[in-house]
Amino acid sequence: MLEVNDIVTAYGKIEALKGVDLAVSQGQVTCLLGPNGAGKTTLMMTIAGILRPKRGSIRFNGQDIAGKPARMIVEQGIVLVPENRLVFRDMTVEENLMAGAFSRSDGKTVQSDLEAMYERFPHLQERSTQYAGTLSGGEQQMLAISRALMARPRLLLMDEPSLGLAPLIVEDIFRIIRELNDEGMTVFVVEQNARMALQVADHFYLIEQGKVVFDGTPGEMEEDEVIKRAYLGKKI
Amino acid sequence: MDDHLIQVLSNIGMITFIALSAYVLLLTGEISFGQQAFFAISAYASGIATAMWGWSFWLGLLWGAGVAGFAAFLLAWPTLRMRGLYFAIGTLAFAEMVRLIFEVFHYQIEIDGEMVGPNGSEGFRGIRYIFENNISEFQYMMIIYALLASVLVFLFAIERTRVGAIFRMLGEDELLAEMQGVNRTYYKVMATVIAGLIAGIGGALFAHMNTYVEPKIFNVMLGVHSLAYGLIGGLGTAIGPLIGVSLDIGLLESTRMFTGYRMVVFGGLVAILLIFRPRGLLDEEAVHAIRSAWRRKTASSTRVDQAAERN
Amino acid sequence: MVDFVQNTLDGFFIGSSYALLAIGFTLIFGVMRRLNLSYGPSIMLGVFAGTMIYIQLEAGLVFVACATVLGAVLAGIYVERICFWAVGRGAVLASMVSSFAIWMQLEELVTIFFPERTYAFPPLGDFSLEFGPFFIRGAHLVMFLCAAVLTVLLHLLLYKTRFGLALRAVSENPLAAKFMGINTGLVVFSAFALASAIGGVAGFLIASADQQITPLFGLWATFKGLIAMTLGGMGSIPGAIAGGLLLGIIEAQSTWYLGAEYRDLVAYFVLFAFLVFRPGGLFGQRLATQNRLSMQRV
Repeated sequence: MLEVNDIVTAYGKIEALKGVDLAVSQGQVTCLLGPNGAGKTTLMMTIAGILRPKRGSIRFNGQDIAGKPARMIVEQGIVLVPENRLVFRDMTVEENLMAGAFSRSDGKTVQSDLEAMYERFPHLQERSTQYAGTLSGGEQQMLAISRALMARPRLLLMDEPSLGLAPLIVEDIFRIIRELNDEGMTVFVVEQNARMALQVADHFYLIEQGKVVFDGTPGEMEEDEVIKRAYLGKKI
Repeated sequence: MDDHLIQVLSNIGMITFIALSAYVLLLTGEISFGQQAFFAISAYASGIATAMWGWSFWLGLLWGAGVAGFAAFLLAWPTLRMRGLYFAIGTLAFAEMVRLIFEVFHYQIEIDGEMVGPNGSEGFRGIRYIFENNISEFQYMMIIYALLASVLVFLFAIERTRVGAIFRMLGEDELLAEMQGVNRTYYKVMATVIAGLIAGIGGALFAHMNTYVEPKIFNVMLGVHSLAYGLIGGLGTAIGPLIGVSLDIGLLESTRMFTGYRMVVFGGLVAILLIFRPRGLLDEEAVHAIRSAWRRKTASSTRVDQAAERN
Repeated sequence: MVDFVQNTLDGFFIGSSYALLAIGFTLIFGVMRRLNLSYGPSIMLGVFAGTMIYIQLEAGLVFVACATVLGAVLAGIYVERICFWAVGRGAVLASMVSSFAIWMQLEELVTIFFPERTYAFPPLGDFSLEFGPFFIRGAHLVMFLCAAVLTVLLHLLLYKTRFGLALRAVSENPLAAKFMGINTGLVVFSAFALASAIGGVAGFLIASADQQITPLFGLWATFKGLIAMTLGGMGSIPGAIAGGLLLGIIEAQSTWYLGAEYRDLVAYFVLFAFLVFRPGGLFGQRLATQNRLSMQRV
């Protein structure tokens, strides 16, 4: 569904991505692992259209989208749940969700999607008129995810959804990812929490210092000694 | 030397002081719209000293700059917690208050049958020390540039030492600097006082050259101009503000063909310049490139010399 | 006591025009996080356009108002393109200094085409109301009513329309807004045009109440907007309104009790005091905004 070929993205003269190749298959959960500063967020921002790559191509269902502005990427059906959630704290929960649906023009289906979102996340419905800034970290993450879903994405990008959240909430998040995937959503998630990712992902990539250094299934990952020690701890 | 040229050069020199004043604060990452306040305070203080108390010019200058520096010290504390745009507006408010206070400030004494001294909005006439002591305009210009050169040397020296590095560190990322143990309070107050002193020197020079000051002169326009000069010339080096002032006063003053729509042209040029070089002509990148090129050149000439010596 | 209340009334009504200026300033500040030093001058261009058709064509009040607003919007768009859009996202200081350069440019343009000290402007209403010991100028009442209506319309726009949602999103977090597919460049441009239009109305009301316009209006309007916005809480529209009204009242009271020459001094003093003790302004800014403002790199 998504093919990334030899993407090079730089901040000024510093290349954060030095030629990244990967692919996300439709209907799967693909996970990108890597340490801090490896370029995970840079890659997400490049795909989402915030950053422009210096070189390379990104094809989504055959169409080249590299370098296109963010709003066109959203129109194509690729929506990002950003790192740190970035909910609109001075707007209510409902307004956040409506903002998520901004790119859509069909008012009635937006309304029914809103109701469906409230059914899936009853916590959000309880707090629909509360300011998003008053929600807990986990609730904000739910809001960020549902806000992205309001855009009816075909490919959902998630940048470190478990960051800064308590273990119980993290389990909830990954359960939601699995549910979404079961319903047919293609998900590309960036994570540092390899252990949880192993439970949901169908395919793994590992990025270090701007390049992909591993490409394989969960089984292959568990067999690789280096990865085991670095990302999965001594016990499995 | 042509009289008009002397006047233009003198103006450039004096205004550069207030541009440098704004520049020092910009180094630490603060935008100040209010350095004209210290220019004003020193102008009045030094004028009072020489025209009303009979002090010599140099004492008057020291006194004026000192009072300005002290005022800067006082201002530093309430503005310490103001960051970013709040600081900018705060300095603006302060400078306007100073100007408005001078509008109602009356202090006159009788000298030789005449009333001399600041008279509110009518200004302060008769700061005639330079003329009464037969200092020619050319000599005065030399004094201005001697002082300016000293200030520039001082600033270059600072940039090379730890203080300068700390100033720029604060300008880049205050939080990071504080985490590295930099005492923000100490350095911010230092920068504010240095900036105030520099503007003060300029103010005293200005008052004595013009022989007359009035509150209207020290308005926001002067303040934003001084900020703009640094930005136009480039924030990479202390020469930047001088370049900015020279471009404005020098170029536009002498191209009389633009009278009447000088600002239309100049304003447009500045706006266009900032589109392409948002940190000025000699911005940090340019200065860095020049320094590296210079280093490479001197390094290669050293090698040539060494090779020649061996043979 | 009567004086105090009368002053408060006067200040309140004048303050409503300050509030409009502040609202416009705030809209721009909200989406851009920068000070537009050309705000007053661009409005002034509109007001002079209005005075021109009033003097040359003897046009009626409505036409003058339209010309004023249109002129202000066109000038505002010019400022937005050159000073803010072209300079780009990172350079805060550069765009503010650029807006200063264009301020100088616009002011000089006005004095070139309108070299007299003052120009006539059609009056709003030459009547006045008296009740008990108090008295209200008709022009002030009209000013207040227009400002109130405009504020209500703006509120509806911001909170009940899709565009308003987008504008608030961009104001809070332009990056997150991009992720929603919002065209942030278009939103900023529209906010600028809207702010200029509101400013144009404010300029029209003020010039009309004074029945004249001078080239000093540009600087004056920018300052009133800036001070009122800061008093109320930078980036907040209710704050802008409150700040404007407060500024008007402060000015009226200090003019009465201390004299006209102390009017601005008191206002700046209050502004400075707010910045020291309560930088968030009257409405105590939302924390997100305050943090972001103080962390900005020059």
